[in-house]
Amino acid sequence: MPGLTNSPGAAIDVARKQGNTRPGMEKFGIGQAVRRREDERFLTGAGRYIDDQHFANLTHGAVVRSPHAHARIVSIDTGEAEAAPGVVAVITPDVYFAQGFGPIPAMTAIDGIVEGTLNHPPRHALADATVRYVGEPVVFVVAETKFKALAAAELVTVGYEELPAVVDLAHTLDADSPMIWPEAGSNLAFRFEKGDAAGVEAAFEGAAHRVTLDLVNNRIAPMAIEPRGVVGEYDAESGTLTLNVSGQAVHAQRNQMAAAVFKVEPDSMRVVAGDVGGGFGAKNFVYPENILVMLAAKLTGRPVKWISERSEAFLSEVHARDHVTRAELAVDAEGRFLALSVDTIANMGSCLSTMGPVVPTAASWVSMGGTYVVPNIHMSVRAAYTNTMPVDAYRGAGRPEAAYIMERLVDAAAFDLGIDPVEIRRRNFVRDYPYSMPLGLTIDCGDFSGTFEAAAEAIGLDGFDGRRAASEARGRARGIGLSSYLEVTLGMPSEAMELRFESDDTVTILAGTHSTGQGHETAYAQIVHETLGVPFDRIGFRQGDTAAIAVGGGHGGSRSLKIGGSTLLRSAQSVREKGRAAAVHILDAAADDIEFADGLFAVRGTNRRIGLFELERAVREAGDLPETVAPTLTTVGRFERERHSFPNGCHIAEVDVDPETGDVDLLAYVIADDFGRIVNPLIAAGQARGGAVQGIGQALLEGVVYEPGSGQLFTGSLMDYALPRADTVPDLPVGFNEAAPTDTNPLGVKGAGEAGATGAPAAIVNAVLDALKPHGVRHLDMPLTPEKVWRALLQG
Amino acid sequence: MQYEAPQTLDAAVALLADARGAARVLAGGTDLLVQLRSGAIEPDLVVDIKRIDELKKITAEDGGYRIGAAVSGAELGEHEGVRALWPGVVEATELIGSTQVQGRATMAGNLCNASPAADSVPAMVAADATARIVGPDGVRDTSVRDVATGPGQTSLGRGEIVVSIFLPARPARSGDAYLRFIPRTEMDIAVVGAAVSVSLDDEGTCVAARVSLGAVAARVLLVDEGARVLIGTKLDDDALQALAAAASAACSPINDKRGTIEFRTDVAGVLARRAAQTAFERAKG
Ligand SMILES: Cc1cc2nc3c(=O)[nH]c(=O)nc-3n(C[C@H](O)[C@H](O)[C@H](O)COP(=O)(O)OP(=O)(O)OC[C@H]3O[C@@H](n4cnc5c(N)ncnc54)[C@H](O)[C@@H]3O)c2cc1C
Repeated sequence: MPGLTNSPGAAIDVARKQGNTRPGMEKFGIGQAVRRREDERFLTGAGRYIDDQHFANLTHGAVVRSPHAHARIVSIDTGEAEAAPGVVAVITPDVYFAQGFGPIPAMTAIDGIVEGTLNHPPRHALADATVRYVGEPVVFVVAETKFKALAAAELVTVGYEELPAVVDLAHTLDADSPMIWPEAGSNLAFRFEKGDAAGVEAAFEGAAHRVTLDLVNNRIAPMAIEPRGVVGEYDAESGTLTLNVSGQAVHAQRNQMAAAVFKVEPDSMRVVAGDVGGGFGAKNFVYPENILVMLAAKLTGRPVKWISERSEAFLSEVHARDHVTRAELAVDAEGRFLALSVDTIANMGSCLSTMGPVVPTAASWVSMGGTYVVPNIHMSVRAAYTNTMPVDAYRGAGRPEAAYIMERLVDAAAFDLGIDPVEIRRRNFVRDYPYSMPLGLTIDCGDFSGTFEAAAEAIGLDGFDGRRAASEARGRARGIGLSSYLEVTLGMPSEAMELRFESDDTVTILAGTHSTGQGHETAYAQIVHETLGVPFDRIGFRQGDTAAIAVGGGHGGSRSLKIGGSTLLRSAQSVREKGRAAAVHILDAAADDIEFADGLFAVRGTNRRIGLFELERAVREAGDLPETVAPTLTTVGRFERERHSFPNGCHIAEVDVDPETGDVDLLAYVIADDFGRIVNPLIAAGQARGGAVQGIGQALLEGVVYEPGSGQLFTGSLMDYALPRADTVPDLPVGFNEAAPTDTNPLGVKGAGEAGATGAPAAIVNAVLDALKPHGVRHLDMPLTPEKVWRALLQG
Repeated sequence: MQYEAPQTLDAAVALLADARGAARVLAGGTDLLVQLRSGAIEPDLVVDIKRIDELKKITAEDGGYRIGAAVSGAELGEHEGVRALWPGVVEATELIGSTQVQGRATMAGNLCNASPAADSVPAMVAADATARIVGPDGVRDTSVRDVATGPGQTSLGRGEIVVSIFLPARPARSGDAYLRFIPRTEMDIAVVGAAVSVSLDDEGTCVAARVSLGAVAARVLLVDEGARVLIGTKLDDDALQALAAAASAACSPINDKRGTIEFRTDVAGVLARRAAQTAFERAKG
């Protein structure tokens, strides 16, 4: 891509050119396009996912779920189910609540929640007398086989008295709306305020223009390729509960369940994950089934497995986004932004999921205002309950919503003021760094306009008018859509990463982070290789087991490379320093004479040298070591985030609309990203592309729909819920702007995991609306299905 | 459930006729197995017809082609003769599913599954194709239009099997085409399907036409008025507009998750017009 250090489809070649020239190092160091070593396992079917693992004496669980959006449970008859062939146990709410477990926790300690507004009702693994969404677990049946469990679950008779339900977010806070938690007197979960309301109001009063936009960030379903799955085990002798899980935050899960639900010491609980086929955040959380399989294992004395069916995932895995927003931008006579006001109703679902409250608040204000100078910002959020599946974090969690608001609002301003969308962006980009954002964070560095211009050049912005004319000649309406997004790396702020020297001359990375397919095994090994010169095949990797790894911050907020990678770099650097001290002793040389290269300590000007693994053996076997020499090179490094970093970039989409059918054809799409220093361009580009495809899916195809009134889930399978496929998207060239390195962490990285899903939705919607502009269409909500576009053209 | 894979047609008919309880024919299974797995149907007997040699053939007959009921979409797509004579029928059949599904799915199965949105059926109707049916009472031929009687319902009697689909001969300067509208780019159920077949005289004037629509009524439609407005024209703009109007007027779709009545009705006209243009280009050669 012109002007950038990495170009479309040619990531490998470019990276090689820039590469390290030390002999033997050019292939696997930092910055190299190393192919992911875990992929051989994944692509040959050798991965070990939860359903591939063997457990002796295994039983299988099935969940009886609520068919109603809102109902009182009047009776539960399990007689027939208990007598059914192969049934081992039936866990009813009576059995469950007799355990004295605490409710499933959710994070509500959020700065900005207005005092006295929080209504956090208890949520349990089984419904307590009332069901509040279709799919809520009511009874758990355990049997010898999955089919016997499913058959017996069908024999459970639950009597319900239906209650009126509300699934419409825009109206759930109305006074006459059915009440989901009547004790609270309204469906408000909490109110959140951030920023200077008076300052914003004053800015609007003095502004030449007020641009108002009402928009919906549509509800979507995460749908990782591997559905959720769990196996619970109980060891009666030690009293240990084990959860084997397709998950991505094993330590947090264990701590939350141990403290809040089971009320046991964390040590008496183990959470362990094998390979995980995607999660996108949705597998971070404490789910009812996770608790139920452990309880069932304890009650039956046998391991209990539950694997989500694909259609069951729509009913039992958190949904995401789902905001209704009024956004307003104050603009001066020259098209400069003066103030931003955001008023959002955020859907929590029927109750609070683990991180649900964080998403529209703490994870969203941080990037509000995007890549532009906006001197005043005020944000107000009303989190609300509806009779729907709980909503929680999904790739980007809060920042995609913020980016979508800003990038749509900028285009609406361009529309209203008659300014070109390119021009209005150029007038407002942050150009001086560090830039203090009005809501409190400081963007340390960036090159927003440079990244934008690179993307514009890559898509051929200058030739667009010609392409538009050509489309028109074919009866098509063509549009181009810009999205300059800002991301903020979040997640758990600290990490511990161990480099453990093994007896077989290998070194294992014990990671507290969690890869669910994003390539940590490779990127981390590159850091170790670069720092210590250890060959790739001597670097092992382990993650996702609370019994093997003492602490871990898991997955989330694009944190892994920044926090985990930096910690690992620190670990590797201290291994090197420990090794140097040991070499001084073992090689009997002066410290100044020891040099280190390619995994070898050598005494300058001699042929005396010793490799890392030899050195490890030497110190381990040495009887008496001086105090300066550690008895092993094994090291646990630590790093804690002090400042945020700000991945950013620009997505540009070009579409053709068939005006007769409303069909949108995505013709071209370019991504220019500033992720800071790139450790592995192949992996980083893969992250950008995968995220972008998810964002494109949200913009064009995806939408979870509940039937108004009944609260039934309309989109209960992949037949009705359309995910993007390979042929939905054109090639997605990715370029990296590495001109603005960050010093917020020793690796100099900014984070890459969520950026794609953050930038994409607005690029697509802006492109389609650009095509529809001649027809007077100013705004449409996602997903832009053919029928929606067709209808807009009919009315426009 | 009993599974049988007889090697002769007689054996298959006998099995089906003698079956106690519900019996089903299994061709490619791309509908049947999905229905079985989801519990939508629970037959006592399944008779697999893929071992019966005569059902696996495509044979030339009276200037047309007879396509055995066990011929897969992929096999049909590789047949030069059928491609040349009825390209619209082949393209409709090839739209069914994906590469994997194509390796198994049959036209006869598409027809007998009796979905109003079945892709190959409007193309077969536009081609005036005939289904040959064998049952306990012998052999009969019937228009493909009369096989499906409503969603999931057919006119097949007990023990009857569709053994082949016959695509007739047609004059030189003829062409057909099929288009469907789906909200995704592939692998989806048609929101609207439109097939048009035309024959032209030496001047390029349309002398015969058939227009058929899928997914806009309980059964696949034959739109006579659509054909009437094309005949005698060179498919100029007025004729195409009249076709679109006739196609829309013939629709009686339902509102569902996949599309509303207004959208389906309007897009049916658009698709009929576009399919007619392609058929016309093909006919001109
Ligand atoms: C992933 C996927 C994608 C699909 N995409 C499409 C699509 O794009 N368009 C589309 O139209 N369909 C689609 N389908 C549906 C299906 O593939 C087609 O309807 C296909 O043509 C069915 O043919 P089959 O040979 O597999 O039928 P089967 O499943 O074997 O049979 C279908 C029904 O017809 C009966 N039957 C079959 N053959 C005979 C016979 N010779 N005589 C009497 N009864 C018979 C069976 O008993 C059964 O009830 C899709 C299916 C899947 C799984």
